[in-house]
Amino acid sequence: MPQRGRDKLSISVSEALRPAKKPALIGVAVVVGVFVGVWINDTYFSDRAPVQPIEFSHRIHASDNEIPCQYCHIYAARSPSAGVPSVAKCMGCHTAVADARERPEVLKLAGYWDRQEPIPWVKVHDVPDFVHFTHKRHVLAGLECQECHGPVQDMDRITRIAPMTMPWCVDCHTEREVENGRDCWTCHK
Amino acid sequence: MSKISRRDLLQYIGAGGVGTGAGYLFAEVIKRPVEFLIPPVVPPEDYSPGIATWYNTVCNQCSAGCGISVRIREGRAKKIEGNPVHPVNQGRLCARGQSGLNALYNPDRIRSPMRRVGERGDGSFEAISWDDALTEIATRLIRLKIDDKADRVQLLSGRVRGHLDELFEQFITLFGSGRYVQYDFTDPVNLRLANRLSFGTENLPYYDIANSDFLLSFGADYLGTWLSPVHYSLGYGQLRQGREQRGKCVQIEPRMSLSGANADEWIAAVPGSEGILALGIARLLVADGAYAGSDRAAWRRALEPYSLDRVSAATGVAPERVEQLAAEFGGHEASLAIAGGAAAAGTNAVASLVAVNVLNHLAGNLGQPGGIIFNAAPLFGSGTRQAGSAQMTELAAAMQDGAIEVLLLHDTNPIYALPAASGFADAMAAVPTIVAMSSFMEETTALADLILPTDTYLEAWGDDAPDPGVGLPVASISQPVVARVFDTRSVGDIVLSLGRRIGFELPVAMPWASTEDFIKDAWRKVYGDLDPQADAQGFEEFWLAALEAGVWGRAGATGETGDAPLPSLIPDIDNAQASFVGDTAEFPFVLHPYLSATLFDGRGANLPWLQELPDQMTSVVYGSWVELNPVTADELGIRDGNLIEVESPAGRVRGPALVFPGIAPGVVAMPFGQGHLAYGRYAQDRGVNPIALVAMQSDQQSGELAWAGTRVKLRNTGEQARVVRNDGVSRTLGRQILHPGQGHA
Repeated sequence: MPQRGRDKLSISVSEALRPAKKPALIGVAVVVGVFVGVWINDTYFSDRAPVQPIEFSHRIHASDNEIPCQYCHIYAARSPSAGVPSVAKCMGCHTAVADARERPEVLKLAGYWDRQEPIPWVKVHDVPDFVHFTHKRHVLAGLECQECHGPVQDMDRITRIAPMTMPWCVDCHTEREVENGRDCWTCHK
Repeated sequence: MSKISRRDLLQYIGAGGVGTGAGYLFAEVIKRPVEFLIPPVVPPEDYSPGIATWYNTVCNQCSAGCGISVRIREGRAKKIEGNPVHPVNQGRLCARGQSGLNALYNPDRIRSPMRRVGERGDGSFEAISWDDALTEIATRLIRLKIDDKADRVQLLSGRVRGHLDELFEQFITLFGSGRYVQYDFTDPVNLRLANRLSFGTENLPYYDIANSDFLLSFGADYLGTWLSPVHYSLGYGQLRQGREQRGKCVQIEPRMSLSGANADEWIAAVPGSEGILALGIARLLVADGAYAGSDRAAWRRALEPYSLDRVSAATGVAPERVEQLAAEFGGHEASLAIAGGAAAAGTNAVASLVAVNVLNHLAGNLGQPGGIIFNAAPLFGSGTRQAGSAQMTELAAAMQDGAIEVLLLHDTNPIYALPAASGFADAMAAVPTIVAMSSFMEETTALADLILPTDTYLEAWGDDAPDPGVGLPVASISQPVVARVFDTRSVGDIVLSLGRRIGFELPVAMPWASTEDFIKDAWRKVYGDLDPQADAQGFEEFWLAALEAGVWGRAGATGETGDAPLPSLIPDIDNAQASFVGDTAEFPFVLHPYLSATLFDGRGANLPWLQELPDQMTSVVYGSWVELNPVTADELGIRDGNLIEVESPAGRVRGPALVFPGIAPGVVAMPFGQGHLAYGRYAQDRGVNPIALVAMQSDQQSGELAWAGTRVKLRNTGEQARVVRNDGVSRTLGRQILHPGQGHA
């Protein structure tokens, strides 16, 4: 009988897989969990915008008060490092800017100055030590700071917007047809 | 669709949770470590982060006086290179010079003045202020001066040259004590005396290796440790490859040094017989007419005793080999004989060195290119106050007798460098007050009552006129290249402020506020001698130019060709065989200690870069070892790494055996430098000091320690010790790497 025969020959896939179903679902749950975990870390606990010892706002300085970047980062056009202003440099303005003096973050700054302690800013933009990066070259080539650092003038807390990885560097070098821009020794020496 | 049971659902949720946690941790782990950007509170002048500045100064790791350029970034010294315009090293620098940074940033530096609180030598000190320390010393010194006991103050310094030496002398003389000597284990005391006997001057001459055709070296490791190794290495390069006709080098020494390995021929003459070999060659030069001076007959008579047979028997060098050496030495246009190392550290060292000078004279090498060119006296600081071991023993006796009440030590370590039999350690116990000025807590400083931490040479002002010079008068200013790392002061500043506190005529005669002022004032005189019409503004320009260039010299001027060996020298050339302490039957081996090309006489042992740098000949890193000829090792049943006890009449040490083909049978070699009992974490408790084996015996003429004059015996303890080596096997093991008979270029 066809009916019987079909019964006899049929193989139920779901029946055959039944013993494997539970481990598979557990595996899927773990994998999904990993992605969720990475996403949570990246979204809420990212090192792109670390908490700084002073809640310094680039928006207030660069946007509201229109201070040019190189007024504070004075070495950008002549050195590999752009330089972070010294405490003395900060205090140079803040002893004169009266209405800012009582703000809690400015009081923190004044505290560092009174103790003659340097401010341990957390580094946001970094390349590994085997990369020979120099600000000077890039500034002299006419690049805007924002090309790599993003709209810093709109940030209350400084945030890294570019990955600062080799593909990212090389893409830009290629696009702009930088002379020797893809030569290993341009950056690794 | 089957229903998911509650139990399963909870398991899925649990799995998801674990996955989330793992993902979070993974993302956390791959983050870059947090780094900080720490700007200065107030930036120093000329501060540009990321931009390096180079400052020129003088190296002080040995006495050669090489010019160095130090790379400074963000106020920190990053790298030391040779100063390209300095005539001594011409841009090159040795490993010891490179390691200066390890001294500057050494974690074991003394960081503030200290006063002893426990028993002497147990190492307990308390930190005190500079003011307290200087007041305490000054009070003590004033007391002595008032009591008319000023001559009970002894200043014992390491090598100090240039104007600082004059400052020391001025201080001690004005104070009313004439007691000032320097003790540096590596200073060529014997060579200076031999040159005074031969040429009438103690200035070291210029050995023109670069232009020599035939270089005969009696134990002088000119590529590693002899006098000015960087300059001679440059000369060697020139001799080998810098000109059309390649020069030939022959090295005579019982243990192959770096120079021996780079020579065309290595001859292992019997230790201590180098002078006899030189005189044997000299006899042949006179006999076969290569020397044609008017006093030929007198030389002939004087050298008559050094017959081929006698020389061959004493040196162990075959007669035909001696004849061949004489033919080559006399036959080359510009031949040069030099001597150093163990050949200049036996009981007959000065006589041997005179014999080598005689050899140069007879071959007509004096004042000739490729020979010995005499230097004018250095521009300043020519006075050598080096004490030999005999003078140090005398000093120890004076200390024992209570003739010294205050011992001022500066940068010297006699406790490590002198055999215990010198009695120096016991004598120090008899001195009521010991003040040490040093950057590091070495064995001698550890015995002090008061310690004044000094700047390293990279933080202090000073100057130097290189000795041996380079054939023309040059001098360099030593300037601080970084700000002080710790609460230290330069030794010049210490002396000046002590002078101010002591009073009497000292502040008037030494009016300078700082070492910088003093050095600048001294250079004003140097400049005035150069140009008497010079004005103050001219000096400022000159000073800045000299500072910037790192060296200043007057071209063209050379010294007088010193007197050739006088005929009266002829009776003095009698060269007895060196005598050794230790009975030949009981102590069958000659101990051949040698200066390490890295740790030198032990002063480099606290620098980690030098500790981890392999010895050039044996490739051993860290520790001490005992080198043995394979034949000797076979006879004694000793294999690589066996822990050997080496015993001499003076003492015994233990070290691992290293079977080394480049050493004569019957000779046992050990490097100097290790075995420190103090001197910081890198130096301490590592290896042994061969000085413990050296018997207290001096050269007959100079009184300098004959550290190559001791016999030893060996005992295999049966234990194993680890020798850390970089190389593999020194044999080809049938791999057809070298093809015997074909030679190589």
